[in-house]
Parts: sequence; C-alpha cells; structure tokens
Amino acid sequence: MKTRALMALAMMRVMALELWRDRAALVMTFLLPPLVFLIFSSVFAGTSGDNLQPKLAVTDLARTDASRRVAAALLKSPDLRAETAPDPAAVRARVKSGQVDVGLVIRADPAAPGKPFLIVADPSRAVAAPLAQARTQQALAAAAPDAALRRSVEALTPALGDLTPVQSARIDAAAKQLRAKPPALKEDLFDREQIAGARKGGAVIAYYAGAVMILFALFSAMQGALSLMEERRAGVADRLLAGVAGMGPVVTGKFLFLTAQAIVQAVMIFVVAQAVYGVEALQHFALWLPTTLAAGVCSAGLALGLVSLCRTRDQAQMLSTFVILVLAAIGGSMAPRFLMPAWLQSLGWLTPHAWVIDAYQAVLWRDGGIGAVYKAWIVLAAVGATGLGVAQALSRDPQR
Amino acid sequence: MNPDPILVAEGVVRSYGQRRVLKGVDLTLHPGEIYALLGHNGAGKTTLVRAICGRLKPDAGSVRLNGADPARTPAARAGLGLVPQEIALYANLSVRENIETFAVLAGVPRAGIPAAVRRAMELTRTLERADAPVRTLSGGFQRRANIAAAIVHQPTLLILDEPTVGVDIDAREAVDAVIRDLRDLGVAVLIVTHDLDQAGALADRVGFLRDGTMVLEGEPRALVAEAYGDQMEILVHLSEGLDTAGEIRLAAEGLEPTRRPGVWTRLDAGGYAAAGRLDARLRKLGLAPREIRVREPSLANLFTLVADRKAA
Repeated sequence: MKTRALMALAMMRVMALELWRDRAALVMTFLLPPLVFLIFSSVFAGTSGDNLQPKLAVTDLARTDASRRVAAALLKSPDLRAETAPDPAAVRARVKSGQVDVGLVIRADPAAPGKPFLIVADPSRAVAAPLAQARTQQALAAAAPDAALRRSVEALTPALGDLTPVQSARIDAAAKQLRAKPPALKEDLFDREQIAGARKGGAVIAYYAGAVMILFALFSAMQGALSLMEERRAGVADRLLAGVAGMGPVVTGKFLFLTAQAIVQAVMIFVVAQAVYGVEALQHFALWLPTTLAAGVCSAGLALGLVSLCRTRDQAQMLSTFVILVLAAIGGSMAPRFLMPAWLQSLGWLTPHAWVIDAYQAVLWRDGGIGAVYKAWIVLAAVGATGLGVAQALSRDPQR
Repeated sequence: MNPDPILVAEGVVRSYGQRRVLKGVDLTLHPGEIYALLGHNGAGKTTLVRAICGRLKPDAGSVRLNGADPARTPAARAGLGLVPQEIALYANLSVRENIETFAVLAGVPRAGIPAAVRRAMELTRTLERADAPVRTLSGGFQRRANIAAAIVHQPTLLILDEPTVGVDIDAREAVDAVIRDLRDLGVAVLIVTHDLDQAGALADRVGFLRDGTMVLEGEPRALVAEAYGDQMEILVHLSEGLDTAGEIRLAAEGLEPTRRPGVWTRLDAGGYAAAGRLDARLRKLGLAPREIRVREPSLANLFTLVADRKAA
C-alpha cells in the first residue's frame, strides 16, 4: 500500500515537473482561467442592469418649444448616451444597424393631446425600449413640466367637463411659472430599498466564477489525461505493464495531480473574484473547499475515464474537444443557464458544469448551507470516482 | 552454462481470432546470455514478447519467468526489464529524474534509489548527462537512457525491442557495449531485432521465428558454418544498366541478384580462386565487374535463406 502511494506520488511529480518546464502550458493552466473569468464577468456583470446606458437616437419633428426642451434634456441625461438624428428614417436605420440601442421620434408637441413620442425598438435589445421610455418621461417631467401639466389637465377633462375661463387662466399662469422655474424632480411613486448584504455584481459574478472554474478544470484535465495516450505511444505503458505495479499507480498519480491542479486553478479564479468583485469565497471557505474538491475530483476522473476509452490519440483529441465545448455550452459555462430554454436547462443537469455552477452559487451567493450543496458534492464525486474506476480497469487490461 | 534458466517458454500457442500467431514456440534463456530473436514483421516476435511479459496468456503451452507464470504472478515480473523500441521516457525530465521515477514505479526501496539510479547511469554511461532533459540528448544518449530506466531495479531478464533502430554506428557500438556489460553481470538479455549485423556480432544464440514457428536456433557462427560449410560468398558489383540478356548470362553463372541494384551474389567453396575465374569469364561476356568481393557468409545470408524457405 505504502509502495503504491509512493508510486502515485512519483507520477504526480512527473506531471508537475512536465507542466512546470512547459512554460506555455503553465501560463495556459493557471493564468488563463482568471483572465477569462475577468472577461466573462465584465461582460455579464452589465446584464444585471445596474450600469446600463442605452444609446438613443432622437429626432424632433414637432420642433415646438416643449419638444426642443425634452430633446435637449435627453441629450444631456447622464443615464443615456443620446444623439440627434435628422429624420425618422435615419433613426430606424441606426437602430437596425445596431449603431444605437433604441430610437425616439418626437412626432408632435408634447403639450398637446395624443401620443407625441414614438419609440423605435430592436427586439434583440428588448430592455432598451422601456428604459428609453422611462427616461423620456423623466425628461418631460423635468424639462417641460408645463407640458406635463397640460397633458394631465387634458386627461382630466372628460371627468371634470370643460374648464371655465378662470380655471384656464390659472392653469396658464401655473404653466408659465413651471416653465420659468421647474421644480426639482421627485419620484413620488417609488422608493427604493437595496437588499441587505447584496454584493456588487453578485449572482452573475458567483455564477461565472464557478462556470470558468469547471470549464478550465475539465479543459486542463483532458489535456493532462491525454498524456496517457502519449505514454501508450512512447512505450512507457509497455515498460510499466511489464513490471510489478502496472499502470494502476500511474493512473492514480495522474488523478491526484489533476485534482490538485483544478484546486489551484480555482484558487486563482476565486482570489481574483474576491479581490475585484468582493465574492466572499474566504468567508465561505468551509463549504467552498469541499465544493472545489468535488469539482476537481469530477473533472480529473471524468477526463481520465474518457481518454482511457479511446484507442488512439486522434479519438481522444476529438472526444476531448467535444467534451470541453459541448458540455460547457449545455452546462452553462459559456452562456448563463437562466437565459436557456427550460428543456436545455434540464439537460444541463447531465453535465458537471451545471452542478458545479449551482453549488458555487448556493455557497457564495445564496448563503446556502451543507443542505444546499451536499447533493452536488455527491453527484460530482460519484462521476469522478466512476471515471477513475473506468480508467483503472482499462489500464489493467493487458490486451489494449 | 548455469543450469537454472531464467526464462522457459514451452510450446507457446496464441491466436488472434482465426489467425494463429504463435504455433508452439519454445524459448529458454540462461543468466549471462544474449539471445537475438529474428524474424520478419508479422512473424510473431511481438506476441512472443508480450507473452513473456505476462501481458497475454498463451492459448496453450506455458511461460515461466524466474519459475512463475508472469501473467498470473506479478512478482514474477519483478526480475523483468523491458526497453521499448521508442524512447519511453519523459522528454522534459532529466535522465536522473526519469530513472528515479522508473525506480519508484519498479518498486525499488526508497533508501536504495540514489545508489540504484547511479548504478544504472554508470552501466549505461549516461552519468555525464545525468541532469540534462532527455529531449536535449543525442539519439545515442537517449537510447542508453532508455536502457538505464529498464535496469534500475536490477532485472535478471532484460528484453530490448530494436535497441539500435535509427542510430549511427558510434551510438550503436555504445549500446552494444552496454548490452555486453549487462550480460557479463549475469543478466539474461533478449534482443528483438532486424539488425542482423548486431545480432551476429552480439548474440550468444539467435532464433529465427517464421510464421509463428521457431525454425532455426543456435550459436550464430555455428549456424552459418552448418548452413554454408566452407563456402564463401562472392559479391559482384556491376555497372548499372544491365539488359535482360546480361541478366540471363549472370544467372547462368550461378549468380543471384541482391536487393541492391547492380550487386549479384553466389556461394562458392572455391574462395578467391573461384572469384578470379568468375571475373575472367564475366569480362569475356562483356560484363566487366566494377568490383568483386569475397567474404564469409553472414547471419544476413542465413536470414535470407530462412526467410525464403531455402533453409530450415
């Protein structure tokens, strides 16, 4: 037993030295994961909406005093990146070509009854239209409160009946006053409360930390497991199978190394996640570590098992690409799972990615306890153990 | 010779599907003996080696390695070292690191590893490049490091698969010297090779495997002497561009073409005198040789005879 442990350690040392001396592979293995995490998280952190600044193209056909003030307010608004367009055709063209996210045509005097504003929306950027609508309403209230007043009065007319001349004069005076000195805008319908303990970027960041971790753990494990093929080709397997120990300790050593490698990769990613986005990995270390260990065991076992099933390096290379890309796509390592159709989300549970991502989110975002993650640990460890078992069994088969 | 053989294979039969690859092969190896196993591709050499290594069970017959069945008793393989045809080493690791690794994997006790590694490097003359990564070594050094990794656990039987394929003459001689040293230490050495010159120069015994049967076995010089008696081989080098009529005339003189173009051969008990007479006759026929050589028949001649089923 002790001898076999020493043999496995010797194999771990070989893997470590081979990686250490291949600087390109070393960078790929340990620096690429945090870098890719940073890229993904910067892209997807934006989709939470906290810093969305849609680009808006505005054209003013009404050219009234009120419409000019609304357009000017939109152009100045810090919540938008607005620009003017000469006519509605130009607005549509810019939305269609993606130069802007959404368009606004001011068709009539905002103070007059009817629908003076036309929003030109692209269905693929659905969130931009309601945002532009809300900003336009804000601009109307802030820059042309008199027009807003007149619209309110128009809306009340059917209920109140026609205004008396005295009432009309009072409204004119009030409108004049509002125009001269617009009141500070106040949102009288809404108050806002931030969720206690909510973190910047939060759910999406925890999601992508997990997603990138399992993506690279599996990628590097498949690359490492391919060395089994290299050992077969170069005769190392022949040499060892002719000896007392066979390939068993070699497979065990590779398994241990690949698990350790995945843990180091996870540390690199979560250190960056904590430092840059405040993901509380250290605070949840007691659950983070078993989750990471389970993910590492899973990727190492799965990779060794799959590569062992292949007869040639080409087969293994192809399978490796398939596993890395397709499982990652289905499992949610590329696009977030919550954007996927329901059937694809269900299918995702057949990949380790979904389990790993969910477990990290449960630990780091939902503050879940063991009850929230033990199932994922069991599934991941079982997949890893099965893969290792397959690799061990096939490494003993002398006919291969 | 030592009465206790290290390897005894008796009547080994093995089929792959319908194809019988080994048809009852016997092979015995004693300590301090170099045995060269010869045969064309597909003759069954690799299958026989796999059976000796315990990687496949014979359908019939038996293999005993140090008295036990290597396929059933892993401990029987403790005294076995295999040198694969390829450089079966980790390229980014140094010679020393590689040999250390294979020492651990061969079960050498931890305390004995430094001494065992040093001994393996001394025997294979790789000590001077001990700390160089294997990928930076010359072909000859790589071949010797490949052997070092297989002898670190001091096996009693060393099997080498094509140990000198693709190396230059100096490197080959260095490898041969290593193999002789191991033999002198009492190791039984089994070389699987196509290199008949190496086999003839190095082996104490050779065996020809043809279609799964050991058709000829014995001491190389004795086998050649038995096959050829006092005949010498006369090699005739002709200018190129020989026509059919010329070929017919050469055949009438008892000459046979070799694989090299323009080189014809014949066996003759008359030696140099016969070569002189042949030269005169060929000149008269207008087929003046560029060169005529007379030499003792070699294992290569015998191999050709055996392979072409003209002997054994």
